[in-house]
Amino acid sequence: MSAPALLELRRVVVAGRDHPRLAGIDLTLRPGERVALLGPSGAGKSTLLAVANGLLSPDQGTVLWQGETPARRGGRRRRQQRCIGTLWQDLRLIEELTVQQNLNTGRLASWGWPRAVLNLLVPLETQACSQVLTRLDLDPGLLNQPVSALSGGQRQRVALGRLLRQDPQLLLADEPLASLDPRLAAELLALLLDAGATPRALLLSLHRPDLLKGFDRAIGLRAGAVVFDLPAEQLQQDRLDALYASAP
Amino acid sequence: MKPAPPLLLLLPALVLLPVVVLLPAASHGGGWELIASFATAALQPSLEPAVLESQLRGLAITCGVALVSWAASLLIGLALGAASSQVVVLHLLGRSWPADLLARLLALPRSIHELIWGLLLLQLIGLEPAVAVAAITIPYAALVARVVRDQLDALPRQSLEALSSAGAGAPAALWTALGPPVLPGLLSYGGYRLECALRSATLLGVFGLGGLGNDLLLSLQSLQFRELWSGLWLLLAVMLPLEALIARLRAHWSMPARLKLVPGAPAEPVGRQGRQMLAALGGVLMLALACALWLGINPVQLLHWQPLPPLAPGGWQQALQLNWPALIANTLLLTLLAAGLAVGSGPLLLLVAAPWRWGRALLQLIWMLARLWPPPLSALLLLFVLKPGVLPAALALGFHNLGILGRLLNEAIGSASPSAEQALSASGTGPRLALLYGRFSGVARSYLAYGAYRSDVMLRETVVVGLVGSTGLGSQLRESLAAFAWQQIALLLVAYALLTLVGEDLSDRFRRQLLGGTSP
Repeated sequence: MSAPALLELRRVVVAGRDHPRLAGIDLTLRPGERVALLGPSGAGKSTLLAVANGLLSPDQGTVLWQGETPARRGGRRRRQQRCIGTLWQDLRLIEELTVQQNLNTGRLASWGWPRAVLNLLVPLETQACSQVLTRLDLDPGLLNQPVSALSGGQRQRVALGRLLRQDPQLLLADEPLASLDPRLAAELLALLLDAGATPRALLLSLHRPDLLKGFDRAIGLRAGAVVFDLPAEQLQQDRLDALYASAP
Repeated sequence: MKPAPPLLLLLPALVLLPVVVLLPAASHGGGWELIASFATAALQPSLEPAVLESQLRGLAITCGVALVSWAASLLIGLALGAASSQVVVLHLLGRSWPADLLARLLALPRSIHELIWGLLLLQLIGLEPAVAVAAITIPYAALVARVVRDQLDALPRQSLEALSSAGAGAPAALWTALGPPVLPGLLSYGGYRLECALRSATLLGVFGLGGLGNDLLLSLQSLQFRELWSGLWLLLAVMLPLEALIARLRAHWSMPARLKLVPGAPAEPVGRQGRQMLAALGGVLMLALACALWLGINPVQLLHWQPLPPLAPGGWQQALQLNWPALIANTLLLTLLAAGLAVGSGPLLLLVAAPWRWGRALLQLIWMLARLWPPPLSALLLLFVLKPGVLPAALALGFHNLGILGRLLNEAIGSASPSAEQALSASGTGPRLALLYGRFSGVARSYLAYGAYRSDVMLRETVVVGLVGSTGLGSQLRESLAAFAWQQIALLLVAYALLTLVGEDLSDRFRRQLLGGTSP
């Protein structure tokens, strides 16, 4: 028997100005699955991720998180959201804070006020933060640096480190490899696939089909609809060509 | 242990702790029924035609005084600013020391609050329409001059040098090279000064210099709260569209936001919109001229001084015997308390209200009333329940400035990127912590820098509440003015000016340190 689903989308529709951004999407994600979302620009990948992380409510259809409908607000919603981590394309680090304080923002949802305020005053949980940096191949000496002083690659890793500190069950990533050079993209992808391994799940939008190695499933999106949903190793070039053929 | 920016924003609110501790002891136990009837009257303002007619006339006078004094201060300030600018004077005269000398001299009129100018001119000239206008114009012109000088001297000089070396005359080169880049910032600042002028004109009215302020004071003193509220709502009906119009023009002409208007930061040039701006400015100046004619303002009135009573023998001796340490300490304590309340309460209240959708709207309404409401009237209202002293004065001054700073913080947060806050919310962080980490981080330094500037304005404004709150140099000044003790008045003014100048210098340093530490 397969593991219960972490996330289920049933006939999800998100309206758009001219045509729906998502047009009746069905998607099930189970623990341990590493899924790549493929599709041309405007296919609805970012919208799908926004629905998955609760930032966007669908106009029609159902979203189920571990078999339950997501709460709209309050403590239950926060507990649900705590289990979903997102690596944003623009990283969304807090420039005015240090690397350590940024890493610890991954823990804010679990901390109370006193600890959250203390994090702005003294270094907290230094050992855990150092371990995260080491795992990401970064020097723990960077902990006290402001993130504004880091290079692009270091910033990507700190953003991923914040996710590791959050320790979510589902990792979402919106085009995390865009604008990275090939070496950096490969390194970050390896880290993400490692972070998204069992018991977690990973849903990542990808603009480069050549980086599919290591994923369990590949989902093709076009004009807000699922065009294919296959094991990654079964994906043939002709399906990709059709997916990226001139936009509708 | 160094607090991170979001926490720095909350540190001034620590002043609430001693205030809360001292409040029960400062209460005299009565007067709550008056406060309750004042609060309920807000929803039942007087609609009696006679009251409304008198208040509308008062409002027209207040608006007229504000517009005329604003226009005069802008024109005089521009001229004085150019004359005290090193780059301008160096190009015209070949040496810059006259500019530095003028800049130093202008510190004096700037350091004395418009209310003191008003009361002094009232003693010297009598109740003439020109007195209120002059009282506002003198310090405002000196303030505008300082901003003009700072902005002119902070501009890069390459284009000016290029024009001069190409043979352009000095005035033409100055106008062409410096005019367009400096115009948007100055007009943005000018718009802000118009809002201030309206508040100042209302305040001068409270102290008997005509206009709506006088009606408000009389209504409060006779406990006619419904009349008081009808006056306040009328004032709000003018202030709100004015603030909205200025904000709209600022956005339309891509003018710098006020939080970014710091000395040494030249504005972005706008170019072709310059003509539109100048045309709008010309239109407003014509309106100001019409107002001056309607109010019967004649600058010649300012030359007719009344005979003054002779100086009292031994007056200097008596003046020196005043309890100066206590007066100065009370004034500084009042400033610190008011500044802590005004700067710290805004972020704290926004955090408290963060989970509720209507919370921020409610705060905006309260802040709007706070900046509208003249501080001496708040102090008088507080005296219904509190004993006279530093506390009611600080609460009144802090509340008024909270209205100004709160709006600014709200604007800054509204224009800051929501992405970090969204990211935190999406990972399950509660709305308060998401606001603290996600948005406060980005605005903390510029808000505190503005808070530092506002604190030195508050030091100048202590006289306003001191005159009713029985505390510090302000209350002594009231007594000395009533007794025509000119030697005491002279020394009190010197003390005020010195304190203000030292405060201005300290707040400038603090601001530079804060903004200098901003991340690139």
